[in-house]
Amino acid sequence: MTLLELDAVTVRYGQAVAVDEVSLAVAPRERVALIGPNGAGKTSVLNAACGVVRPASGRVRIEGQDVTGAPPATVVRKGISQVPEGRHVFSSLPVEANLLLGAYGRVFRLEIVSSTLRYLRSRRDVRVQLERVYDLLPKLRELRERPAGRTSGGEQQMVAIGRALMARPRLLAIDELSLGLAPVVVQQLSEFLLRLNEEEGVAILLVDQSASLAFSLCERAYVLETGRVALEGPSRDLEGRVEVRSAYLGGGLGETA
Amino acid sequence: MTTFFQLVVIGISTGSVFAIVGMSLVLVYRATGIVNFAQGVFAVLGGLLTYSLSQKMALPLAAVLATLGTAFIATLVALVAVGIRGRTTHLASLIITVGIAIFAEAVLLASFGEVPRSYAAISDRAWNVGGVLVQPQYAALAAVALAAAIGLTLFLRRTIVGQALVASADSPHAAELIGLNLRSIAVIAFALAGALTAIGGVLLAPTVPVAYSSGLTVTINGFAAAVFGGLTSIRLALLGGYALGIVEQLVVGYVDPQYNLIIALVVMLALIGWRSRGELAV
Repeated sequence: MTLLELDAVTVRYGQAVAVDEVSLAVAPRERVALIGPNGAGKTSVLNAACGVVRPASGRVRIEGQDVTGAPPATVVRKGISQVPEGRHVFSSLPVEANLLLGAYGRVFRLEIVSSTLRYLRSRRDVRVQLERVYDLLPKLRELRERPAGRTSGGEQQMVAIGRALMARPRLLAIDELSLGLAPVVVQQLSEFLLRLNEEEGVAILLVDQSASLAFSLCERAYVLETGRVALEGPSRDLEGRVEVRSAYLGGGLGETA
Repeated sequence: MTTFFQLVVIGISTGSVFAIVGMSLVLVYRATGIVNFAQGVFAVLGGLLTYSLSQKMALPLAAVLATLGTAFIATLVALVAVGIRGRTTHLASLIITVGIAIFAEAVLLASFGEVPRSYAAISDRAWNVGGVLVQPQYAALAAVALAAAIGLTLFLRRTIVGQALVASADSPHAAELIGLNLRSIAVIAFALAGALTAIGGVLLAPTVPVAYSSGLTVTINGFAAAVFGGLTSIRLALLGGYALGIVEQLVVGYVDPQYNLIIALVVMLALIGWRSRGELAV
């Protein structure tokens, strides 16, 4: 069964149509990319999948269950975590607190007292998961006491990924992995995601402006253009297609990988 | 010299109330990014509710119920200020709290009347320390302010709930993405701050009678204390409250009693002007 499925999803902001009947699917353990130029609606697709925006029409399903219009909290609980564009770390809190909040958020419901009790009861599991994240991203262990706002861009991306992993997702949706990062850092993060996928079985949905990064990391890709899926297929095939090449690879947009 | 020390002692006691309100403002600001201009109302509500309830029951019980009642009202204020989805912009929320402060004054006048109210202090005896009279009420206020400062600092730094509060103001977007509910966060912050400010009002009323219209003065003094720490530092809000209280009492004692609110305003504007040249623009 597909892990995440978008079925003819349309997103509107007022009159403007950002996403126009986009259908997309990610299978368990799969690596899928969503590429396209600025303003093609990539982030809106991701936000519709994660419950940040409510689709005007169409359905969003996680393992067959309809979650259209459900809040992000529900989506997180069902196993999909988002690493937002620009990282959005909790800058005044230490790195470790950022990570722990990822676990707290997963058990958070409307009411704060029972949410906190639920978190405290699961504290042993949270510790185990924290150690796993530290093993996966050893740099974070070194930085655990440092306020997240006082780490480098690449380190903040690790914090954001680690925070998402604390919710034990089966799919990690990453918005603009490479944005503003040095090529060598992007290379490291990309290798890490590949390992995470192969060893831990976490599916990846990657949104990035860099088509070369997306093709090298992901097995399959969707090319978005003005809110519609213009092309889709195995990365290997798409990479060879002339349109993609001229539209995204030759444009000088961060050819990082 | 005895007069000087007497004024300092009184200043620390009134300053403790400023500190308590200032720390409450910091708590709300650090969790929601909102400056709650209705914060002082909670002190008034605490005092007036305690007075009314104490007509029918023992004073300590009245004080506890008044604090809980105020915390409940504060949660309602939170829901109005941040909206049902918890996503009202900070500027809009701020203006809503100004509106609530004005509205609350009318409601307080209608429900409690215009007479300033006071009631029995913890003890009517006073310690004589080298000619300076220290009332137990003063000591209680100072102790509560200090305990609140330590408690809040530990709460925000060390507990997962406190960290969730800070995280929600750091990045509301990410807080939502990881599953936190911004409305619940705002409610818990407003409720805690409301209870804390109410305790300040409950302890203040025996020494300074509280009237329906006292809210604005309390808010301005608390805000001046909070601005001392850039609206984000609990510790500096505590020190700011003490400092402001002492300065005000010295002016009241040596210059003119009418000047005390003006001092708060001058101190606040000077601090804003000074700080806004640095990293923080209020």
